[in-house]
Amino acid sequence: MAFINYLIHLAILVGIYSILTVSLNLAVGFTGLLNLGHVGFFGIGAYASALLSMYGVPVWASIILGGFAGMVAGILLALPTTRLKGDYLALATLGFAFIMGSVARNWTDVTRGALGIPGIPKIVRGNTEFLVVVLIIAIITYFIFWKISRSRFGKTCEAIRDDELAAKMLGKDTFMHKIAALGISAFFAGIGGALFAHYITFIDPSIFGLGDLILLFSMLIVGGLASVKGSAIGTIIIFLLPEPLRFIGFPSSILGPMREIIFALILLLILIYRPKGILGKVDLA
Amino acid sequence: MSIATQLILNGIIAGAIYALVASGFSLIYSVTKFMHFAHGAVLALGAYLMYTFAVGIGLNFWLAILLTLICSSFAGVLMDWLVYRPLRKRKASGAVLLIASIALMILVNSLILAFWGADVKTVPVRNPVFDVLGARVTLIQVIIIIVSVVLLLALWFLMKRTKLGKAMRAVADNKDVAMTVGINPERIYTYTFAIGSFLAGVAGILIGIEQNLYPIMGLSLIIKGFTGAVIGSLASVPGSVLGSLILGLVENIGIWWLPSGYKDAIAFVLLFIFLLFRPSGLLGVKVREA
Repeated sequence: MAFINYLIHLAILVGIYSILTVSLNLAVGFTGLLNLGHVGFFGIGAYASALLSMYGVPVWASIILGGFAGMVAGILLALPTTRLKGDYLALATLGFAFIMGSVARNWTDVTRGALGIPGIPKIVRGNTEFLVVVLIIAIITYFIFWKISRSRFGKTCEAIRDDELAAKMLGKDTFMHKIAALGISAFFAGIGGALFAHYITFIDPSIFGLGDLILLFSMLIVGGLASVKGSAIGTIIIFLLPEPLRFIGFPSSILGPMREIIFALILLLILIYRPKGILGKVDLA
Repeated sequence: MSIATQLILNGIIAGAIYALVASGFSLIYSVTKFMHFAHGAVLALGAYLMYTFAVGIGLNFWLAILLTLICSSFAGVLMDWLVYRPLRKRKASGAVLLIASIALMILVNSLILAFWGADVKTVPVRNPVFDVLGARVTLIQVIIIIVSVVLLLALWFLMKRTKLGKAMRAVADNKDVAMTVGINPERIYTYTFAIGSFLAGVAGILIGIEQNLYPIMGLSLIIKGFTGAVIGSLASVPGSVLGSLILGLVENIGIWWLPSGYKDAIAFVLLFIFLLFRPSGLLGVKVREA
């Protein structure tokens, strides 16, 4: 029974993280925006939904509002930064994630700072029911991103990634496309964060950490850029890979760093030896 | 009055610390043209090695410093050989190198956490306190300021007056042309990582003694280091030192008005302003197109 509960727990986390990875792929893989601030949207969604639901907003509504909070942050971040190129965009979005972490740590009246927010209400009583909820939302998310990837909008995003000037010459409003791509991507990151908060029922500023960023990029690149299916597969592989360590019997003080070491090593190896991942269509620009 | 002096002095000390971090980071950036975030991890590794050599094994203080500097230089070179060189060989973009460097950073941080544990460590040294114009300053802080000035001068001499420095600048300017005149860029990259990581080692030792050791110290320091570098100019060592000094002063004078927890937020806001309005920094001339 304990083992089944553990499998359900893993499946829920895989579901939540696959929403994050698939949405990150729209910005990084399809549109070519090297966004290192995805954990920022994730955290904003988590905090927004947690706080709203504790002030009496129904949980399903707070999750959607969490998504919108992420989207607003995404659009606000995109407005000034999408004109930056490569490394500078990466730095600015990374800085954004750090600022959000700093706000969460210091705005103690609202976020309780480093103490975190305990006792976040659950959506449904049991984990099995929650797994069903997560799976439904994850499947809707894949479907939406699959549709986007085949739509005129998605194709234009790919054109921007490959040659922005050419897309402009064809009369495409590349600026609006980039904003929309980051906004949609951030919306789903916010939803993912909200689901995470209502599942774990506790969040603290460490949610904005770099560890999760590396985890997301491992999943994204192992699965492959610009492939919706790849992101889902990448999430499952990366998430399950370090799990056997749990049964070898390492103490938990070693287990945490060990997971991060494995994620970082996988990411480095795949960048060096198979940069397109399993199903990827393009290299990181 | 003495509070104002103290804040300014704290700003200069913080600026000197950030400059120690930023100088190596921007030296590596200026030659290799990518952001080596794992520089912060090399720094943290230096601090922990110093702890192990000086406190754990109990070696002579100066011998411990020497060993630490050799090890950190080697750690940086090893990162270049094992990760960055294969990536360069397959002509990976700056974005790939950036992600790889963040992965390296997390890798080394986690290794530190696994080997040395999460508890805060200190390197005990005698650290008398002086009084300067009504402000307090410790011996280590004075040494940090002196060392960062000396290192800056030495770096300037290296880059402008030595053959190696000229070769480094040639590779930075145009790798292909440098190759045609017989400079081996790979070898120059190795030297650059050795020197840059040596600086990280110096920074790690000094900061480890001045503050405490904790596994993610490298991360918080490299964030300040690259912010300082962006403010001054990513690709110029004097620029990054100037930017670090400005960052240290603004942060410390800023807490006159804001709660001290917002120090980091001040740094990021500065980073944002410069990235958006002057990405080449105060001393930079051109923005590199990605």
